[in-house]
Amino acid sequence: MSAPPPPKQSPLWSMLMQPGAGWRFERRLYTGPVREFAAVIIAIGISVAAAGLLVAVAGAGVLEAFRGMYEGAFGTRDSALETLVQATPLIMTGLAAAIAFRASIWNIGGEGQFYAGAAGAWWVSDLLADLRPAPLLFVFMFLGAALAGALWASIASVLKAVFKTNEILTTVMLNFVMFFVLSWLLAGPWRSPNTFYYQTERMADVTFLPRFTTDSRLHWGFAIAVLTAVLVYFILRKTPLGYEIRGLGANPVASRYKGANVGVLIITVMAISGAVAGLGGAGELLGLHHRLQLDIAVGAGFTGIIIALVARLHPLGVVVAAVAFGALINGSTAVQVVTGIPAALVQVIEGMTLVFVLLAAVAARYRIVRTSVSHG
Amino acid sequence: MTEGSSAGGVILKIDRVSKRFPGVLANDAVSVDIEQGEIHCLLGENGAGKTTLADILYGVHHPDDGALYLKGEPLRMSSPKDAIGAGIGMVHQHFEFVPPMSVLENVIIGAHSKQWLDMGQARRRLQELFDTYDVRVDPDAEVGRLSVGEQQWIEIFKTLYFGLEILILDEPTAVLTPQGVEQLFGILRRMRENGLTVILITHKLNEVMEISDRVTVLRRGKVVDTVDTADVTRQDLARMMVGRDVVFTVENEGGTPGGLLLEVDEIHVESESGRGSLEGLSLTVREGEIVGVAGVSGNGQNALFDALVGVREPSSGEIRLGGGSIVGLSARKIASLGVASVPGDRIRQGLVMDFRVKENLILGRHRSKPYASWGLLRRRPVDGFAKQSIDEFEIMTPSAAHVTRTLSGGNLQKVIMARELSQAPKLLVVHQPTRGLDVGAAEYVRRRLIQERDKGAGVLLMSEDLDEIFNLSDRIAVIYEGRIMAETRPGDTDLEEIGLWMAGISSEPDAAGASASSGNGAAGE
Repeated sequence: MSAPPPPKQSPLWSMLMQPGAGWRFERRLYTGPVREFAAVIIAIGISVAAAGLLVAVAGAGVLEAFRGMYEGAFGTRDSALETLVQATPLIMTGLAAAIAFRASIWNIGGEGQFYAGAAGAWWVSDLLADLRPAPLLFVFMFLGAALAGALWASIASVLKAVFKTNEILTTVMLNFVMFFVLSWLLAGPWRSPNTFYYQTERMADVTFLPRFTTDSRLHWGFAIAVLTAVLVYFILRKTPLGYEIRGLGANPVASRYKGANVGVLIITVMAISGAVAGLGGAGELLGLHHRLQLDIAVGAGFTGIIIALVARLHPLGVVVAAVAFGALINGSTAVQVVTGIPAALVQVIEGMTLVFVLLAAVAARYRIVRTSVSHG
Repeated sequence: MTEGSSAGGVILKIDRVSKRFPGVLANDAVSVDIEQGEIHCLLGENGAGKTTLADILYGVHHPDDGALYLKGEPLRMSSPKDAIGAGIGMVHQHFEFVPPMSVLENVIIGAHSKQWLDMGQARRRLQELFDTYDVRVDPDAEVGRLSVGEQQWIEIFKTLYFGLEILILDEPTAVLTPQGVEQLFGILRRMRENGLTVILITHKLNEVMEISDRVTVLRRGKVVDTVDTADVTRQDLARMMVGRDVVFTVENEGGTPGGLLLEVDEIHVESESGRGSLEGLSLTVREGEIVGVAGVSGNGQNALFDALVGVREPSSGEIRLGGGSIVGLSARKIASLGVASVPGDRIRQGLVMDFRVKENLILGRHRSKPYASWGLLRRRPVDGFAKQSIDEFEIMTPSAAHVTRTLSGGNLQKVIMARELSQAPKLLVVHQPTRGLDVGAAEYVRRRLIQERDKGAGVLLMSEDLDEIFNLSDRIAVIYEGRIMAETRPGDTDLEEIGLWMAGISSEPDAAGASASSGNGAAGE
């Protein structure tokens, strides 16, 4: 019964795609989850190979480097737990990006929202320092973080909903604004009188997130992150809100025709996204740093974007990708020690993985068919 | 033209061509002999594989199996460029010209890539062609300002200018008024006289009967038969096409209009492009009445649809539903008042193609009672409704959980109809409900509209298919440039009169088709 629409071909496209030989690319009607998953796996394989090539070019032993990477990331119980510590903020920023991207809202402001959250948590801990019991204090600190992240994201979303401003530009710029706001706060009003650094007083012990073991840094923030991932998955799949988010992302026109209030939806999605990033910031503050400063998990907001894309915007995939990237960060230190290759290799590999995954995602939409006319 | 092929010889042989798409065998060992100098129709329902076949003839697709022969020589093509090189041209439903450029410039684009461009010579050659075909268009006119029919001629003359011998037209009449169709057919007949070959893709039987020498009927990717048009009747072709007897006009005993339901009063609605705004449109719909809005597309149908469903607010004027104003209400609110809608662009406006079928079936009601409660989507009611809809509307899908993208056009429309009719709407706003649907699916959709009317709903039916308008409407309004040009009853008028109104001509001063200047300045007396 069904006839697929003919593939849309730009002149450039058809020029590139007709080598005159007997093969050509043809767009699939529907890619399907299996192919999409396979594409990600293949892309990661290629990334690993490319990383090996880079190491070889740098003059180090490839196997040696990979072994060092593995040892550093998972070789011992300590290193494995530290990998999860590294992954924790990335899960949150990855989820923040994924949920917004699902709605085709390009929130590049995870970094700023992450710090807004950390600042919000710190502020609450300062205001309510005497609040007991401690669990109640935690509730308010996390609420403050979520609210701060959501509000910071809302600047961009309200502008988008009301004036149709491009959220990519506003969220990127708000990252800088947050950095300078925080710099000002840490240089002045919130600065610890006992230090020359831009940082607050060390927080009271009661605000410390409990750790899973006494000999590692792995704190409850990791559990919170995993729970958040499950919650985001649940929201997207099982609630009317998630349905609307996916609908907005896939076809905003039909969503509008069928009664979705697109403005409200944009603001809601960005608020959730910002809140998740903000919670991530609070987790780092209360779990590891215990004082607000400008370098808690620098770049986590941006790495989260890569993670979300590599995970193809799947919340549970984000957890896997974040752990992998955490391993990369953690293992690269060991690689540096063993082989002398700078840890900056991490960023190169991250970038390459992103490019390969995106390429593979596009490639999976096509199949190769024979063009030669064979009679018979 | 060429020495070997006298008129009547086979110019293009399609030999057992097969083409497979994921899950569909679009062409299954299709064999057709196209003779030189004939007008050959490819007739079939949507999804019968006629567009796929045309795309193969034009080098867009490549057969998985089988071969093409042009004048006896094997024809291998890897792109439309090869097809043009072989003398085969195609006019698509969507024109491919540069609006701000002149007719002449558009025609010669691409024709002179290798040699110096001699505009004077080009103009003479084009004028000769125009004269041959008795077409009066100024070669220096800006193409964007021509009427749709005239723009289509430009597409045709592009291929003539290239010196092509075979012209494929894909559903060329979809955008034309009845008079425009006549003019197009005049050109095609003259092309035939000049020894050119025309392949016309259509699903409209009237056109096949009127214009073609021979017709090949396709069904589900296979050739049913190739016949001489003179030897068959409309009924024969329909039976071949659908595989059973069909009724073209569904039974319609007329409605018994009740109280005033919808009142549109002098509304102005701006459109973003400036084309197709509403300029003080008024109309009414009663309960139990189908009001057909006839018109060439782009005369404000989209704006009217948008204003009625609440996605675009009129800048002035009033819309009352059951006496209460709905201007300024949200789309969700208007839907909750009992307004259901079937949009003209079903893929863009009506469905989320990446959703599952069952998800699309509750689009817009995903926050309401059986489907959502306590902030959660309820799986069982959603699945239950999906199953019921798929059964009742005979939606062809492997399962309710399948991605909507994989469904055919007719089934996409059934998904929308199932969703929109499930709430016993008071007012049904329908735009192009059967466009692109096969005869069977169209018949079904029309029956459902009549059923809803008989249950007491008011139906506003915007359509470019005049047969459909005549068949279904209790009252006909003709829309032209954002206003209702005239209003009448199906019994009091005929196709010709409606056609003139659609072209903005308010009386009947001269015979149809005499003048080509229908577009501008003809609104008055």
